[in-house]
Amino acid sequence: MSAKTLQYEATSAKSLLQEVAERSGQNLLACYQCRRCAAGCPVGEETGVTPDRLIRMVLLGDKEEALSNLLVWKCVACYTCGTRCPNNIQTARITETLKQMSKAAHLEPLRPRIADFHNAFMQATEHMGRFNEIEGMRIYETRTAVKEMKSGNFGAIVDEIKNQAKLGMTMMKKKRMHLKADQVKNKAEVKALYRKARQGKGA
Amino acid sequence: MELAYYPGCSLHASSQLYDVQCKMVFRNLGIELKEIEDWNCCGATAAAKTDDFLAIALPARNLGIADATGLSEMVIPCSSCYSRTLVSQKRLSCDPGLKDAINEELGHKVEGKIKVSNILEVLMPRATSGEIAGKAHKKLEGLKPACYYGCLLTRFPCDVDVTDDVENPQGMETICKSLGAEPVDWSYKTDCCGASASVNDADQSLILMSRIMKDAVARGANCFVSTCPLCQFNVDAYQEQVAQKYGLEKRLPVYFITELIGISMGFDPVEMQVDRHLTDAMGLLKELKLI
Repeated sequence: MSAKTLQYEATSAKSLLQEVAERSGQNLLACYQCRRCAAGCPVGEETGVTPDRLIRMVLLGDKEEALSNLLVWKCVACYTCGTRCPNNIQTARITETLKQMSKAAHLEPLRPRIADFHNAFMQATEHMGRFNEIEGMRIYETRTAVKEMKSGNFGAIVDEIKNQAKLGMTMMKKKRMHLKADQVKNKAEVKALYRKARQGKGA
Repeated sequence: MELAYYPGCSLHASSQLYDVQCKMVFRNLGIELKEIEDWNCCGATAAAKTDDFLAIALPARNLGIADATGLSEMVIPCSSCYSRTLVSQKRLSCDPGLKDAINEELGHKVEGKIKVSNILEVLMPRATSGEIAGKAHKKLEGLKPACYYGCLLTRFPCDVDVTDDVENPQGMETICKSLGAEPVDWSYKTDCCGASASVNDADQSLILMSRIMKDAVARGANCFVSTCPLCQFNVDAYQEQVAQKYGLEKRLPVYFITELIGISMGFDPVEMQVDRHLTDAMGLLKELKLI
């Protein structure tokens, strides 16, 4: 896959690097582009962008590319890149940081389903203190269906219902589906942590 | 002896069989698992992807509860829960400001003293000492598992002490061999199944699982064995889809390590819920006359 030419912006390079390094706790300047991370990245073939290239985007200050590329969304957080990096840079922490920055900048996710899933997971966990598969999937599926409907993509909705119904039926048959909602008693304490997270945003 | 126990959300839902098996196997080894009270979700990958504070704070609440038990060690069978909890403990040990900020909200404050262990850290020494084999009534002859570790048992987003080889772990192989099984040597034991990508980025996840399946079959494995409920569920539930899309003929049961130990200990497979796999797991055991 041919890569896009990255743009160098001296001023934005400094501020972008500073922000990403601080939030992720990673020393991006230590990267000497050996590409061991690229060789081990399980989604690299599909994203076209590998961890080394993501670091390069940040170093050059190409904020637009850095906040909106397929690796930021499709990274499966397997931590192979960071484990193999000779300079101990955890690139997965960088993708996590860029994803959060992308959300804070209200950019449209390149893979809305992935963003919706993570948000649904966190919402379901806030509600009950534990992640209930049925509730989480209900929030996620509703969100994606509404989006597909708005863009007139009815085929995708039908496919998703078919796939999920099939899996759900098999799970029911094999007694892997649990209808009883599992929850924390002291939900107030979990909610307080969520509140603190919201207050601390951007701090 | 008693160990604190954090099951996590999966083991209370779709992977309840793993919860049941852990309790049965550990009890037979003389270990009582004391589930910590009123635990919450660890936040899994979703928290790490969306909120740095919650990614540390959610497991921290559980660590506070665990510290309050006074027990010295907590075992966490789910790789994702284990990873998030260990990372949170490590982070809090080197960031007192963050620890104080989180402790302000908690009834049980994090002290950071409990040892957080994965299931293999508890089982492996008992396999090398011969204790597990000593409780086993049946040799797992004919079983050729591809020991599948996945990502989160040996790879972490920060420096922590990893107890097994990072790229070529041997914990499950050691246990399987001690029970008379013949684990295969293969290349995808620490590769990623995609975890929640099976739901939100399905094509990608199927590609990843197809590589794992293909190599296991090519190496002559007749089953998988796993310690992670996410890996186990994915390779079990989506195997038919992967096999059809990528033209694979074989289907391999995906056991939990506790299932294999339990079978060799002579436990009833139905009581262990071995009949609840989505890819049939009873057939191979019957064929090999293990049940």
